[in-house]
Amino acid sequence: MSVAWIGSQPVPLTDAIRNAAKLLASCRCPVFTLDTDVHGTRSTIALATMLGGAYDHAKGQVLANEVALFTNHGGMFTTPGEARRRSSLIILVGEIPPLHHDLLQAWATSQPDLGDKHTRRWFHIAGDETSSSYGKRLRQLKAKPLRGEGLSLEATLALLRARLQHRPALSSLSNIDSLEKALASAQFPVFVFSGGSVEAAGLVMLQGLIADLNRKGRASSVFLPADDDAWGSALASLWMTGFPLRTGFINSLPSYDPVQWDVQRMIHAKETDLHVWVSGRGGQTPPKGGKVVLISLSRTDVPTSGAAVTIAVGQAGVDHDGVAYSSRIGTFRAVQAATPSHLPSVSKVIGQLADALPGRREFAC
Amino acid sequence: MLIRLSGGDVVDPVNGKTSQRDVWIRDEVLVDAPKGEAADQTHDVSGCIVMAGAIDIHSHIGGGNVNTARLLLPEHHAAHMPRPANTPLSNAGWSTFQTGCLYAQMGFTTVVEPAMAPYTALHTHLELADIPIIDRATLAILGNDDFTLSLLRDGKSSAMIDDYVAWVVGSTRALGVKVINAGAAAAFKDNVRSFSLDDVVPEYGVSSRKIVKSLQSSVTRLGIPHPLHVHANNLGIAGSADTAAATIAATEGVPLHLAHLQFYGYGTGGKRKFSSEAARLAEAVNANPDVTIDVGQVMFGQTVTISSDVMRQFSAIGNASPKKTIIFDGDGNGGGGIVPYRYKQDYYGSLQWAIGLELFLLIADPWRVFFTTDHPNGAPFTAYPELFELLMSSASRDAKSAELNAAALELTTLASVRREYTLEEIAIMTRAAPAKLLGLKDRGHLGAGAIADIAVYRKGRDIAKMFREAALVFKNGDLVVKNGKVSQYRWGKTLRLNPPPDKAIIKRMKAYHEERYGLSLDWFTFPDSAIQRDEPFAEVPCNS
Repeated sequence: MSVAWIGSQPVPLTDAIRNAAKLLASCRCPVFTLDTDVHGTRSTIALATMLGGAYDHAKGQVLANEVALFTNHGGMFTTPGEARRRSSLIILVGEIPPLHHDLLQAWATSQPDLGDKHTRRWFHIAGDETSSSYGKRLRQLKAKPLRGEGLSLEATLALLRARLQHRPALSSLSNIDSLEKALASAQFPVFVFSGGSVEAAGLVMLQGLIADLNRKGRASSVFLPADDDAWGSALASLWMTGFPLRTGFINSLPSYDPVQWDVQRMIHAKETDLHVWVSGRGGQTPPKGGKVVLISLSRTDVPTSGAAVTIAVGQAGVDHDGVAYSSRIGTFRAVQAATPSHLPSVSKVIGQLADALPGRREFAC
Repeated sequence: MLIRLSGGDVVDPVNGKTSQRDVWIRDEVLVDAPKGEAADQTHDVSGCIVMAGAIDIHSHIGGGNVNTARLLLPEHHAAHMPRPANTPLSNAGWSTFQTGCLYAQMGFTTVVEPAMAPYTALHTHLELADIPIIDRATLAILGNDDFTLSLLRDGKSSAMIDDYVAWVVGSTRALGVKVINAGAAAAFKDNVRSFSLDDVVPEYGVSSRKIVKSLQSSVTRLGIPHPLHVHANNLGIAGSADTAAATIAATEGVPLHLAHLQFYGYGTGGKRKFSSEAARLAEAVNANPDVTIDVGQVMFGQTVTISSDVMRQFSAIGNASPKKTIIFDGDGNGGGGIVPYRYKQDYYGSLQWAIGLELFLLIADPWRVFFTTDHPNGAPFTAYPELFELLMSSASRDAKSAELNAAALELTTLASVRREYTLEEIAIMTRAAPAKLLGLKDRGHLGAGAIADIAVYRKGRDIAKMFREAALVFKNGDLVVKNGKVSQYRWGKTLRLNPPPDKAIIKRMKAYHEERYGLSLDWFTFPDSAIQRDEPFAEVPCNS
């Protein structure tokens, strides 16, 4: 079975590597889109460093929203494990992605064994835009809705914060009295949110609300990333360059700019001449780039449409061992191959690409 | 490969007086001068000082909280000095890559990250493994987790506590154990806002003193070379000297290392109720041979405070500059707070600066006082060269003091202390003593058989310049720095202990994690292969 193609023609892997390295060496401004595990990310960033490229995640916009909460504001956070063990009051904020529903279910079927040890209660802060398809999950959790007529999620959060601070408000929220009682009796209430469903202003408002609660009591929040791999890549990028994703290199200096280094924008604006698409998960289509040359490292058994070179890669935790961020524990986890395959890891292929580049350069990975 | 460093002034207090002699390297280790054999490579280091590679015992260089600080402060890179261009990630600001290069350029070859939360051990080791050139090590945090506190509450045997401590140290690949404001992080979750040595963790009825004493004894019984590394209660508040003095008095014949003592050197004297108690603490340290300390010197400018002392960091939110913080209630021993801070040359900053120097200068034995800024809490480690100068030159201290708040300095003894560290004392404090404290017999000196970690400094009047840009640095015999610039990249190892785990404790940990977290133990542990480097770890033996 083929694992490498030049255009649509199957070729030996070494030929594809050599061809891709030539393209990389001759381009002026390469950009990299990531969707891979920690080691795939590390190697891609090291390659981007060597070549002076910029890198972003396939879900860069949502990730940028999540990162902005931390870079612009900060907040108070706890881990999923601590929420499970200590929190008798969980308040969901907006929609929690299906990726995390098993975690919510695990909390629902367990009792806190630390703190007040009360039976766990659930609330859900929603806006008009919150999808109704989410309702079934909320009913299973017996989450009481907190919403106001005609209010967005951000407005609901603002209203809730005002109400909890006993400030006058023109609108009311459903179940607000019930929540106030629950907050009064819970020792460690936890708000649970994901960057994919709350706008930046809403996230800041939520953290303001939590800061208010911590003046006299305790409260915290669990951040569940919209995509675990994306968050893992952001963390790896932070330690390698000091910056999260949407970082580029100018004269070997890393520069973080979530607008300038938005790779999709760069491709559409023709600010790049070569796009390296790294997708350990596969199944996604790289953005169309007109004359921008495409090198695809993707979990695929066919050549990627429009790619000058396609190299099939495996997925960490499926085809090979690896390290992935897990929001279930709020940190990295070693993952074993579930169904080991012949597909090489992203880090291995990127390492071969770096070795094949002309001239001796340091590969910082 | 046989390498000869010829004609340098060798400062190696472990192996004798400073003298002009040659140093010989065969492959990765130091050897005696071989008879009748010519060197493959000779470096003329006449006019230079030759020391073993320096060892930093307490510098927050990697792991969850450090990375969260990077996330909070993308603008913080300016606080770190730029690196030369045209090297990979050469001007990356506050990165793992830069950390290794900057340390190496100053002649440091081993650095200890002192605060690894056991549940985020994999993250910490991934970061440490990406720090080039130098060897690293890390200390596992204990003393705030439910398992430890439950053992103590339930009066379990010391053998069971030892089994647990050994399992944590082994499974997290740590070089020792640290306790941070023992019990306070657990108490903070129950809304306790201040916590002293004899305060009790609400859910467990266990005092902070009991936690410290239990872990101190366990570390000693297990033969862990590094004594329990203690971040005491009440860090940073006026009157904290009483807590530090009580902690020093509580050693009872068992070794203990007290971290960043400068942050506890505060009394309540003066108009501002904030004064120096450094002389009193120095006296207490001098009188108690069980105790070693590192200083955590404050230097002026922008930095960020990173600490797993979440209660303390929460109380410091109002001082954040810029005004953004992260407070993290982690699992057990994890979590902490990130609070950016600018040390100004005002009353408070001046006093903190002077207290650190008082401790350095008033603690008599250089084998028991260690050179740190608690990077980045007191200052980034890149401020070390200036700190060396302050220790070695009373004139430099006087000159700097003249710029500072006179009212603050009047409350200190600094002006009256004229001691100047000698090169031999510097070599003890930054080489020989750290190696001894950590149980690293293969480094910290230049005797035959030691690994060839060597720093060569060009002698000059400008002490800071001398220590900022080593003329040559060898790591395991590889020449990695020439004229203050990295000349070769290599990947070091993370030094760890590997006490054999007790089967019963493994069984118990499996049951604990399944019951309390609903997850199997393998979610929290990892194989060496997860680091994806050749031989990422090197084992250090426990004391027999």
